[in-house]
Amino acid sequence: MPTASIVVPAYNAEATLAETLASLQAQTYDDFEIIIVDDGSQDATSEIARAHQGDTRVRLVRQANRGLAGARNTGIAAARGKLVGFCDADDLWMPEKLAAHVHHLKAEPDVGVSYSGSALIDEAGCMMGIKQAPRLKNVTAAHVLNRNPIGNGSAAVIRKTVLEALAYRPSFETERDWVFDETFRQSEDIECWMRLMLKTDWQIEGVPGLLTHYRINAGGLSAALDRQLEAWERMIAKLRPLNPEFFARHEPSSRAYQLRYLARRAITNLDRDKAWELFARSVQESLRPVFEEPVKTFSTFAAALVLKTFGPGPITRLGQMKSKLQSI
Amino acid sequence: MEQKKILHLVDDTTAGGVMRMLDHLLAQSDLSETVDQKVLKVKRTAFSWGKLNADVIVSHVVPSWRSLPAFSALRAMHLDTRLVHVEHSYTRAFTTLNVPHKRRFFAMLRVIYSFFDQVVAVSHSQSGWMKERRLAASEKLTVIPPTVDLEQLSRNTMPPKSKTTIGAIGRLEQQKGFDILIQGFRLTRTPGARLLIFGEGSQRLYLETLAEGDPRIEFRGHAEDPAEAYQAVDIVAIPSRWEAYGLVLDEALAAKRNVIASKVDGLRDREGDTRVSFCNLDPYDWRLAINNFLLSNTIEKSS
Repeated sequence: MPTASIVVPAYNAEATLAETLASLQAQTYDDFEIIIVDDGSQDATSEIARAHQGDTRVRLVRQANRGLAGARNTGIAAARGKLVGFCDADDLWMPEKLAAHVHHLKAEPDVGVSYSGSALIDEAGCMMGIKQAPRLKNVTAAHVLNRNPIGNGSAAVIRKTVLEALAYRPSFETERDWVFDETFRQSEDIECWMRLMLKTDWQIEGVPGLLTHYRINAGGLSAALDRQLEAWERMIAKLRPLNPEFFARHEPSSRAYQLRYLARRAITNLDRDKAWELFARSVQESLRPVFEEPVKTFSTFAAALVLKTFGPGPITRLGQMKSKLQSI
Repeated sequence: MEQKKILHLVDDTTAGGVMRMLDHLLAQSDLSETVDQKVLKVKRTAFSWGKLNADVIVSHVVPSWRSLPAFSALRAMHLDTRLVHVEHSYTRAFTTLNVPHKRRFFAMLRVIYSFFDQVVAVSHSQSGWMKERRLAASEKLTVIPPTVDLEQLSRNTMPPKSKTTIGAIGRLEQQKGFDILIQGFRLTRTPGARLLIFGEGSQRLYLETLAEGDPRIEFRGHAEDPAEAYQAVDIVAIPSRWEAYGLVLDEALAAKRNVIASKVDGLRDREGDTRVSFCNLDPYDWRLAINNFLLSNTIEKSS
């Protein structure tokens, strides 16, 4: 039995899967298996996965499309390791990532989830100069709800026992348990982490370093932002009964953070009305992001205001300037 | 034979369940020949509870950082006395929902339990949690479920005759999870179904708001005679968010009622008992369980 299983959910990932697998095969800690879950891809994902099976640590599971949560759940069911990590098929792990989490979890028996910060890369795999450097210690449920320190789907390594504590089986499911809620197409991560914080006494903790390269796909429609907000609200409504007092206290600030995040996404999409609307709603919901993260909140405000007043020109030029500066 | 002196320490905010258990224990006539049991009320925040005269001291006091000085003084002043702690309060689900900084909390429990020769868990689930979190060495851990006198309750109740009325009995506090039960019940549409809630507490207004507009839900207040409360219902719901043991489950079974309970802590010790079914802390799960119960009624009638 390997110590760790790394689950790689892959849907139409032919462009990036090989690079992702190479980054996993290059881990300095080598007692692990890789479980690629081909989630009903129509491209060459399976061929690429099969080509890697010369490495005996690589396993391939194929299924009809279930979505990201469903692919992860299948991977969890197939995992044999005591620890389970996740790496989406377009992200990369730094070579020392698995080692860092294995040592962390061995040293801290009450920590159930070990995560790290991430550096963001673009579609071409170039560093964007943006990082996710989350809080690492003393993480409470309120921190997770407001700022989700786990950050993205390729950051965490989790004890199998924790996943077992989270597992349940809906009455209509015949194949295997759910850990991630497959009725969610967005917010499936945060739903799972919040459920962990509200239903188990496991702690979550980070290790230093930007050990994941997390790929950001440019573009996206504003309709997607609405759906994202909708999924987030559904997550809140689902979990609220577990601890209504907690949500009464923290819901406004977390909604404000969520709206600010979506406003930033709308700015990237150069959607002037949406960006302004989302930012205004964020401020109306709660002023905590203003006090807790004034620089980020103010820059979001400034960008939304410039976009609204002058249109996309200045923002685009600023973006070009920034990428020029980085390429120098 | 010389009587052994056993001294039970309870703190002045101790919950009703603990006192009921002690009353029952002290009333055991077969014990009174060999042991002399006394109960001493102590202040949790006192610096020390002084030098006590006993062969065995049993603490039922709630551990906390503020009670740490008194616990450490208890050990220091009774080096040769056997010290036993019974953990009535803390559980996995309690910690999950009430303790933001778990590391500090576990450290406090480990220190306080280390002063004792024996730590008693009131349920197997609680003991399993204490082992998993390494709160006490496993050779120090024992499971002793509390018992109370249920004979009267058993004598004064008849088996239920119908399958329409769901009952909830307990303090109206967040811990008891009656909000989840009310929301779940409201999702059921059966007009003949009823939900009776017995008890008082700080959540009464909030729960009444949740129940507003559904005439099937009734608040009956504190039940002077528990047998009457159990007799008035056909099944007992225990939607607790945490429960170290859950005496109400024993009561309900003694009163010949089946139970729907939440799948947490000490309540899980009854997993496998056919009279008890389990639910997650989710109104939709409760709707399903309640509907199953109401439906079993119509099936029996038609057959």
